[in-house]
Amino acid sequence: MGYLILGLVAGLAAIERKGFLQAMLSRPIVLAPVTGWALGDTAGGVLLAPVLELLWLGAVNLGAAVPAHEALGTTAVVGSATLASRALGTPVTPEIAAFAVLLAVPAALLGRVGERGAEAWNARIASRAEAELSVHHLRRAAHCNLLGLGISFGLSAVVAPLTAAMASLVIPAALRAAPGLGFPLRVGFFALGAFACAAGAKALRAKAAPLSFFGAAAATAVVGLFVLLTGRAM
Amino acid sequence: MSATPKALAAPAPLSAFTLARVFFRSLFLQATWNRRGMQNLGFAYAIEPALRALYPDRERLEDALRRHLGFFNCHPYMAAAILGGAINHEERVAAGVEPSESPQNYKQTLQGPLAAIGDGFFWTALRPFFGALGAVGALCLGVPAIVAVIAVYNLIHLTLRVALFRAGYNRGDALVPLLARMALPVVADRLRTGGALLAGVAAGTLILRAGTLIGPGVGPLAGLAGLLVALVALVGYVALARGARLFPSLYLAAAAGAGAALLLEHLPGSR
Repeated sequence: MGYLILGLVAGLAAIERKGFLQAMLSRPIVLAPVTGWALGDTAGGVLLAPVLELLWLGAVNLGAAVPAHEALGTTAVVGSATLASRALGTPVTPEIAAFAVLLAVPAALLGRVGERGAEAWNARIASRAEAELSVHHLRRAAHCNLLGLGISFGLSAVVAPLTAAMASLVIPAALRAAPGLGFPLRVGFFALGAFACAAGAKALRAKAAPLSFFGAAAATAVVGLFVLLTGRAM
Repeated sequence: MSATPKALAAPAPLSAFTLARVFFRSLFLQATWNRRGMQNLGFAYAIEPALRALYPDRERLEDALRRHLGFFNCHPYMAAAILGGAINHEERVAAGVEPSESPQNYKQTLQGPLAAIGDGFFWTALRPFFGALGAVGALCLGVPAIVAVIAVYNLIHLTLRVALFRAGYNRGDALVPLLARMALPVVADRLRTGGALLAGVAAGTLILRAGTLIGPGVGPLAGLAGLLVALVALVGYVALARGARLFPSLYLAAAAGAGAALLLEHLPGSR
């Protein structure tokens, strides 16, 4: 059942991403908690959401450029983490989340390849619309536009559950075989997060980005540490 | 397909319902995005209800639909303005006061500049800014912050999209001065800087969490883990700025973090 739900969420997100609306509902910051919620672990989705959003902050459709498929990547990663943690009988932890990112993130690249294929298929749909118009089927010609939605849906609805199925076998087996990996993977998750923040700041291409990024990071860490230390002293 | 305006009875103004249908359909603009015509099919699908109202004569309707199956590509939000403007021109064509090429000329003239403005403002500034704001909100406050951020983004996005559609429909060619007054590139620069700042706040929060919430019984390792995460942010930014690729760098960052933690864990006195 979990795989069916994951496929449905991934398919609908792929449609929202490009074919309909584009209201940020398929961005990782929304999609990760929604996927987690649909699979019964909202907190796991919230844990992954900021990391994935910042990692793919620069993933935008500019003209004919095809970026990594961040919606497919997000559903694959969160689905992997949630279903693996279910197999381990725990909620999503940073170590499971780190493992899931490393295993499932290539789904976003696979999605990019699939999107290029979908564009070629869409050209055939456009030709079909012209053919319908040439035989005076006006309504059918215009409505051919909606056929493209099925391709986006189908690709993500298949790839996300397959990736999660693979990860839900690998992650529990690896963590059971090497329980000592817990601490390194936990640190690895925060390292992934910090790298994602750097990637997000870099993707914004602002002149003042380095100063803003490093200044804000240092100030937040120092103020937070001060608050923590004074809180403990009191 | 006549290029010469002929005196015709002016069609009745389009109803609000028809315009609402066109706007709703414009949300499907990229459903069949393709490399040959790009958003051509989406544009024809969106404008079809307006054309049906304007051209009761089937032959003229077919000609009109055919001209909108030509190449079209724009930013999907900004395309709402061109769609409104194209309907404005189609009304004139239907009334016989403009040649049938004018809607296509209007689209060809505006699609490039509006695509550049839309990409520069919405895709590379406003949306990333709200993404980074949502990330900081998720780290500090969880789900309520994400809901609030997305609600505000969509309030801005949908208001602008509807306003652009109406401005295009009501003003036609006079749309351009209105867009120039909005000074979107200036706002975009500020949003990008703000987004980088928010990414920094998120990095600082993660450094703190690595140092304090890494888990019970970790001892001095917690502080070292925080430093390690800070180092990854620093090196990661520099590497990306020098042209390193995103995905290989992501794996290197995770391996560096986990590998260093593994080494630190085995140092004498680290616990």
